[in-house]
Amino acid sequence: MKKKKIAITLGIMCLMLTLAIAVQIRSVKGGTQVAVQSKTENDLKDEVFRWKEKYDTTHKLVEESEKELEKVRSEATKNSENDSNAEKQVKENNMLLGLTNVKGSGVVITIKDNSNTKASSVLDPSLLLVHDGDLRSIVNELKNAGAEAIEINGQRIVQTTAIVCDGNVVRINGEKLGSPFVIKAIGLPERLYNVNRVGGYLEMLEDDGVSTEIKKSNDITISKYNGVITNEYMETVR
Amino acid sequence: MIIFIAILIGCIVGAIVGVNVPIISYTYSGYLAIAIIAALDSVFGGITSIIKKNFDMKIFISGFFGNAILSILLTYLGQKLNVDIYLAAIVVFVGRMFNNLAIIRRYYIEKFSNDKVFSKAKKIIDKNEGK
Repeated sequence: MKKKKIAITLGIMCLMLTLAIAVQIRSVKGGTQVAVQSKTENDLKDEVFRWKEKYDTTHKLVEESEKELEKVRSEATKNSENDSNAEKQVKENNMLLGLTNVKGSGVVITIKDNSNTKASSVLDPSLLLVHDGDLRSIVNELKNAGAEAIEINGQRIVQTTAIVCDGNVVRINGEKLGSPFVIKAIGLPERLYNVNRVGGYLEMLEDDGVSTEIKKSNDITISKYNGVITNEYMETVR
Repeated sequence: MIIFIAILIGCIVGAIVGVNVPIISYTYSGYLAIAIIAALDSVFGGITSIIKKNFDMKIFISGFFGNAILSILLTYLGQKLNVDIYLAAIVVFVGRMFNNLAIIRRYYIEKFSNDKVFSKAKKIIDKNEGK
């Protein structure tokens, strides 16, 4: 009687064991390729993180030296009126060039790829997406409405900025950006708000199925341009 | 004898059912693998204890499930800590498995050779009595 009980327990255990082994063999059989792929993926991820870290430390160094430069400059120009005037001018020019963080009133526009509509249910699925041209048109309209500073997803629009298509993302200042796009602009809010007028570009986008949103705000902060503006070839005409 | 028949039936039924059951996602197959090793160790431990005649149902069942669950948890912890803890579990379980297998092997070899000696002795005794 006791032996029978033991036998039944052992039998059930072995049943579970072989069941698990069979499932395991079948699930591993199709998955070896995935393991290899995820390994290279992990390596790539590691590399990206390492580069990012390097970039961050370098960026911090640059910021520190910039602060130092500022200090040296203000100390050097403390004594003479002429110099401090020049210092003020440098500061203002930097602001106009987009090399300083600025804040003020303006509008915030958010445009997002349409993810609710099925791509197969419309004639042209590319209309559901935000393209580089859409961003260019909106930036143009904002500039036309008197925007003094514009930023898309943290990338300041300066005079050397290019907005180009890069596959399924958009490249601005060499940085890859994806939907949703948050466009911040500083200027007279009422005038900038007219971007969403009837027949304007935002309305056209909305008609195509892209979701758009525009908000007036009194407190917008726009970050500075992180790149370098060069003047290798041009010089002033005297 | 009935124990081995039960094990055989269990294995066959398990294999048949396992072939027809949906497979699990590849992410969790590592956990299942370590649970299988733990369960395999428990089964060998159970057979050994039957041979040694100190089999306890409660210890056996709790060992079967407890070891499997503990090894899965350890593997999970190892993944979170980026340490391959499951290697330690495999070393322990497989080491014990070899120990148990050695005990089982010794028992049956001894039994077999004893039987042979007994039968030989019996034959000689019969021969002598026949004379």
